Amino acid sequence: MSKKILIIDDDPVVVKYLEAVFGDNGYATCSATSSMEGLDVVKAEKPDLICLDLQMPGEWGPRFYRKLRKDKELKDIPVIVVSGIDGDHAIKDAVAFVKKPFDPEKLIGLVKMTIG
Amino acid sequence: MDKKLLLVDDEEGIRKVLGISLSDSGYTVFTAENGEDALKIFLEETPSIVLTDIKMPGMDGIELLQKIKHANPDTEVIMITGHGDMDLAIKSLKYQAIDFVTKPINDDVLEIALNRAHDKIRMRQQLREYTENLEELVRQKSAKLIEVERQVAVGQAVEGLSSALRDIAGDLEGGLTYFNEMPCFVSIHNSKLKIVAVNPLYRERLGDKVGHRSWEVYAAKTGARFRCPAEQTFKTGKGQRTKATVKTSDGDKAPVIVHTAPIRNQDGDVELVVEISADITEVKRLRAELHRTQQRYQQLFDEVPCYISVQDREFRLTDANRRFKEDFDIENGAFCYGVYKHRDEPCPNCPVAKTFEDGQSHQAEMVVTSKTGEQYNVLIWTAPLRNTAGEITHVMEMSTNITQIRELQDNLASLGLKISSISHGIKSLLAGLDGGIYLLDTGLKKDKPERIIEGWEGLKTVLSRIRKMVHDILFFAKEREIKWERVDILNFADDVAATVEPKIKAKGIEFVCNFGTALGACEIDAGVMRLALINILENALDACVEDEASKSHTIAFDVHQNEKQIVFEIIDNGIGMDRETRESLFTLFFSSKGNKGTGLGLFIADKIIDQHGGKISVESKPGQGSSFKIAIPKRIPESAKATSEKPA
Repeated sequence: MSKKILIIDDDPVVVKYLEAVFGDNGYATCSATSSMEGLDVVKAEKPDLICLDLQMPGEWGPRFYRKLRKDKELKDIPVIVVSGIDGDHAIKDAVAFVKKPFDPEKLIGLVKMTIG
Repeated sequence: MDKKLLLVDDEEGIRKVLGISLSDSGYTVFTAENGEDALKIFLEETPSIVLTDIKMPGMDGIELLQKIKHANPDTEVIMITGHGDMDLAIKSLKYQAIDFVTKPINDDVLEIALNRAHDKIRMRQQLREYTENLEELVRQKSAKLIEVERQVAVGQAVEGLSSALRDIAGDLEGGLTYFNEMPCFVSIHNSKLKIVAVNPLYRERLGDKVGHRSWEVYAAKTGARFRCPAEQTFKTGKGQRTKATVKTSDGDKAPVIVHTAPIRNQDGDVELVVEISADITEVKRLRAELHRTQQRYQQLFDEVPCYISVQDREFRLTDANRRFKEDFDIENGAFCYGVYKHRDEPCPNCPVAKTFEDGQSHQAEMVVTSKTGEQYNVLIWTAPLRNTAGEITHVMEMSTNITQIRELQDNLASLGLKISSISHGIKSLLAGLDGGIYLLDTGLKKDKPERIIEGWEGLKTVLSRIRKMVHDILFFAKEREIKWERVDILNFADDVAATVEPKIKAKGIEFVCNFGTALGACEIDAGVMRLALINILENALDACVEDEASKSHTIAFDVHQNEKQIVFEIIDNGIGMDRETRESLFTLFFSSKGNKGTGLGLFIADKIIDQHGGKISVESKPGQGSSFKIAIPKRIPESAKATSEKPA
């Protein structure tokens, strides 16, 4: 079964982009366009990895992240931050920080390293 | 190995020959010609091996053997026998001779006998060592065990005592830090006036005196007999306090204050005594150090580049540092609000008051007035000061003068904001462009038409965002001059409505225009005003699209007039805004739209309306939609024209 990646980004173009990149590399994807929705999707889909944007309307990525880490079942899901802002400090134990605009090859490399 | 050997034979020839050969083999040889002499020499020299003839006049070999074995059973005796003495030889073995050799003596046979004797001696020695070791080991282990047991019991007492002391020390202000350094020698004494346990410091400084007498550690006083504090405690059953001198393990003497306390058993008898001695010299040293530390704090207090004051519950200044006193008039009993702000009553939102309330630190930024009348922006931090009971008696207030920073900040803020926000926006746009291109690319390669369309749509979206951003940036970057023209309002409103209507309808949202009659004409810069209105209308659209509540969404665009103003109203029933969003709406680079917003739109709209001498107001509640009201004077005030004509 292919590994599943949850994409959380409020920009539908970026979501489509990431879905295509991950899909082309054999990963299943699901997506959410806000933190609140993201949390529901995480619970429903139990993804193997989360690709998280930091700046979104409503709750920002870091708040989503804090909620995620409080949930025992979800806290071990690796997170890769994909964002235009420098938020290294905002999410302490993210697997990686990828700055927009990003190189899809590199992103896939990181994903492969993390979940194979 | 002991190589002493006693050779006993009545024949001198044998003594001589055998003596020489044994000497050559490395033995210290003693000789005797009869049993009586032999026994005498044996008792003096205690040789480990005795070589004796059996048949001798007087005391014979068997008797000698018995006496030697009786005197020292570890001695090995080899018998020398003649022919036909086999019965005697066997008999000698019964009396524990190690071996016998027959005359004439063959050197090899003798050597074997000697070796056997040596082996037996060695084995016996080893056996004894093992046994003794074992006994020693058992003794050590059991001693240790007993010691551990005792230490556990006593250790608990010491532990309890020192934790109690720590608690007491903790109650004394600042005591805790010093207690850990407090040089106390703690020892426990039993009723036999022997020390049964000591603390590590005691062991380190005075030596491990466990098992020693209680008074040994004290330097003897000349003249009067020194009264051992532990002894006194046992005698009187009361704790003692006395000054004494102890001998340290490195030979020095140290003055101490000794406290003792009795520990009673269940029957109420004094079973143990705890003795705690504090080294006075160390106490003095610590006191000096404390004093120095306090001095350093005072220096710090005075020299830090902050105004520091300590205030009581009435906001009376009870202390202030040098800098504070330099810049502000402070008299005894002066009130903070009087000194800082020249007020007659406490300030609203006073951080000191908050700290008194909740015991937390608070921050505030305030403008204060110095004694020379200068206004300073200060950043205030507060911290509670507690008494030993933990109650807040005072609050310390630290104020950093940030006037210059504020001035600089005002100039830099918009610049910094602009750069970071725009660069973030652009990064997102680039990611979007990459995305569109990727979809388009792979769609073409894999011949997936739907992906090509997706990519193209994405690109179009991003491109329109770029266009908008560039517009916004250009507008912001350059103070655009207003081009006044008389415009028919109805036409203008129609034009605006026509621009946004398709977009709104495309999202399935109802668009209701409600234009008043006879609106007439108005002096505006139609180009930018259109931009401002479209901006707000597009926000309304976004607010409806974002709203996930399943209701039909409507955007109303009303234009009407009153005596002096044209009023545009844009009302949506979208997601609405919370108070914070509403209040920061017109701030530069504020965006609630994440990557999609530039944070410029409403800022610019507000600016445009302002340039027209108009007003924009907002009403909104989360979940209930928003209403923007823009009122423009029908005639642009001359002042507005004048200022706007000045190049920025």
